[in-house]
Amino acid sequence: MRTAALSRGAVISLTALTVFTPIVLIFYQSLLNAPFFMPNTQLGLDAYRFVFDDPDFYQAFGNSLMIATGMLCIAVPMGGALAFLLARTDLPGKRWIELAVLVPVFISPMVLAFGYVVAAGPVGFFTVWLRPLLGETPWNVYSMTSIALIAGLTHVPHVFLYSSSALRNLGSDVEEAARISGANPLQVALNVSLPMVSPALLYSGVLVFFLGFEIFGLPLVLGDPEGHLVLATYLYKLTNKLGTPSYHLMAAVAVCIIAVTFPLVLLQRYLLKAASRFVTVKGKAARQKQLPLGPWKWLALALVLLWLWLTVLVPLSGIVLRAFVSYWGEGVNLLDTLTLAHFREIFEQPSLVRALINSVLIGVVGGALAVLAYTAIGLAGHRRQDALSKVIDYSVLVPRAVPGLLAGLAFLWVFLFVPGLSGLRDTMVSIWLAYTVVWLAYGMRLISSALLQVGPELEEAARVTGASESRTRRDVTLPLVRFGMLASWVLIFMIFEREYSTGVYLLTPGTEVIGALLVSLWAAGSIDQVAALSVINISLVAAGLAIALRFGVKLHD
Amino acid sequence: MTGKQRNTLWMVAGLSCASLTLAAVPAGYPTGYQATIDAASKEGKLVIYATTDLKLVQPLVNDFQALYPAVKIEYNDVNSTELYNRFISEVAANAGSADVLWSSAMDMQVKLANDGYAQAYDSPEMKNLPDWANWRKEVYGTTFEPITIVYNKRLVAANEVPQTHADFINLLKTNPTKYQGKVTTYDVEKSGAGFLFLSQDAKQNPGVWDLAKTLGERGVRLQSSTGTMLERISTGENLIGYNILGSYALARAQKDPQIGVVMPKDYTLVISRLAMIPKSAKHPNAARLWMDYLLSKRGQTLLSEKAELPSVRKDIEDEHGSAHLRAQLGSAIKPVAVGPGLLTYLDQAKRLAFLKQWREATVRK
Repeated sequence: MRTAALSRGAVISLTALTVFTPIVLIFYQSLLNAPFFMPNTQLGLDAYRFVFDDPDFYQAFGNSLMIATGMLCIAVPMGGALAFLLARTDLPGKRWIELAVLVPVFISPMVLAFGYVVAAGPVGFFTVWLRPLLGETPWNVYSMTSIALIAGLTHVPHVFLYSSSALRNLGSDVEEAARISGANPLQVALNVSLPMVSPALLYSGVLVFFLGFEIFGLPLVLGDPEGHLVLATYLYKLTNKLGTPSYHLMAAVAVCIIAVTFPLVLLQRYLLKAASRFVTVKGKAARQKQLPLGPWKWLALALVLLWLWLTVLVPLSGIVLRAFVSYWGEGVNLLDTLTLAHFREIFEQPSLVRALINSVLIGVVGGALAVLAYTAIGLAGHRRQDALSKVIDYSVLVPRAVPGLLAGLAFLWVFLFVPGLSGLRDTMVSIWLAYTVVWLAYGMRLISSALLQVGPELEEAARVTGASESRTRRDVTLPLVRFGMLASWVLIFMIFEREYSTGVYLLTPGTEVIGALLVSLWAAGSIDQVAALSVINISLVAAGLAIALRFGVKLHD
Repeated sequence: MTGKQRNTLWMVAGLSCASLTLAAVPAGYPTGYQATIDAASKEGKLVIYATTDLKLVQPLVNDFQALYPAVKIEYNDVNSTELYNRFISEVAANAGSADVLWSSAMDMQVKLANDGYAQAYDSPEMKNLPDWANWRKEVYGTTFEPITIVYNKRLVAANEVPQTHADFINLLKTNPTKYQGKVTTYDVEKSGAGFLFLSQDAKQNPGVWDLAKTLGERGVRLQSSTGTMLERISTGENLIGYNILGSYALARAQKDPQIGVVMPKDYTLVISRLAMIPKSAKHPNAARLWMDYLLSKRGQTLLSEKAELPSVRKDIEDEHGSAHLRAQLGSAIKPVAVGPGLLTYLDQAKRLAFLKQWREATVRK
């Protein structure tokens, strides 16, 4: 009992410390007029004054709001519908669709955006092929509407993952009852299934809205040249605006982003109060049966395929094509420019080869360690309503409010200025810690939804029969969430493989990861290598996913 | 001692003799240089932070390693902002940092020297460098990179290709439909390098503001990375780019037949990657060896032939190096002098005023 309480306290304080040290550092920095470690730094509100006087800030804020709203309106209905179709109906080809749905999750948005430029930009190959049919190109990938649309479409999987796990754990008896009483599939979906998964939908809706405020790669590649700023790219712009990096301005913008996202955290917390509605793995069996769609299924399939074509096939084909040609464009015969040179160049460079190995390690080993850490945190807050649990609930959601680039910089400071940590900076430990904290909210959601599905009566039964708290955790709760943990491992693996901005400041020989190298190669103009490396990265993740599925890991159950 | 052991001993002695002969004082260097080499070998390591891709520099690293096998190079390639951030953070934390900083952000390098981060080093190679290429013996120019106009060879006819700044303005003014939305340059608010080129340009030529106005009228596309601009020019999405870093453009032009590069005949700005040895360097002697090697005829030849970064030296005849360009363009070559002149726009008020002027000139009509 005592050890359980002690270890719980240790987990909670360690979490709070790791999460809040960088945040406090950023907040403190925003109140200074120079880097916090410089000798003659003064406290003041200059940074905020500068930001609030800058018309760009308001433009960026407005655009972020628009993107977030657009994402909400697109991702939630589509993600929910997709979850319903795949979890509950006899849609053809479900196995393959389920896999393809995950693709946008593991491609970094920067690469995705670049794929759209190659495929559907003003001289992209789809555009050039379709122009004779359509006359003028009816779309412009660089417009704000396109950015919001792409952002919405690529976030459908986030909503899908949450609502499908909620759906799969609901017995289908109520839906069958509705069918028997004469409701058609649409009526069943809207009047029966929808209300049952509404907590999951609401929750993921808030999450998507929240992600909309810190979206970076997509507007960087697509919006920048047209002058469309969002908060995260505005922050990036401030890096160089004054000639030398202006930490205080960047920190002030980050604080503004946190000020927007924190109320969302509160909202999520409020929604979670209805968490008991998630409890579905109870001490009794719930039977699931598929809903026959009848002739509707072809329409449904066509819609799903259209979405897949837009979100997966278009950008992916762009990237793959770019990786195998030396140049492209309107009027260029691609067959003349085919080459394998970009791949050869990658394998000739020791640092890139190291990056490949490190990326696999951070995904597989780092992902496993992160899941263990998240599970420890999740158990510490599990079935408790005390103040400490509140600390956890809030602290896990905060890091996601800080854009990855700045979070990475804050971690560089932590490793530099906290005594005893400097030895770890040049090792993969630094990257791992930064990734684990940045993705804390995402990972915790995976773990806690697995934990929430365990009905309290199972644990109560163990306690009543005399098991201690830690014994209950070990023998009842953990075995029941084992599969949830495995699935989380796979999802975290994919996320860690694609993460790109956080590692930028922690990049040294020995800690190269593909994501961070993509950013630095992109800046240096080696687009050939960016494309080739992305293709390798995507294949690695796909291979990892295939292996996991081959060994029977189920991502949703 | 058995015969075999003795053999091994001789072999070890032979090897160290070989490495001693390899690490000989380069011709023309002072005799005291051997002391630097010995001290560097003792240090055994050299940490470089650079903005130049390791891919490009690998031949130099290998060659240096062959010359001085006792000094192991740790090469970090990062962008100029990260380089600056990491360096000042690490120095403030008193953690290990770079022994050599080698960056294309000339202004930031000079600022670091001005803020007292650099140590002076009297390189024996100095006599082979132009006068503008060093400041207080702390910061050294190592390359000679023209700022160019880049165009798409397939879509811009040979007779349209502008040869001077006036031609360029004229081209945009007389072909409004063709070039509308198809001209590109750096977003100087985001790209430190772009700001440097533009501000130096404005010092050289007050007519730049007219040019900026024309760019605005044509709906100029602003990018923060040279690579993206080259990609878009190559594909034909954009047709022509202004003020683009020539070394990258020329390197791409060798592989990509779509890319054409012009060095304007009225004046061509030239920038240089600057190297300096920080005061805080943990391996200062190794850093000196690298600095001298980088500036030496041997290093500069490799740099221009393998890394496609033209040489700053007066005595190297590469196609785009200083000697050749001077012969071609004569006094139109305007190198950006390494020195306090680069600090002007690091003053916040001046910089913001300059940005405002640029923004007002290029605002979309």
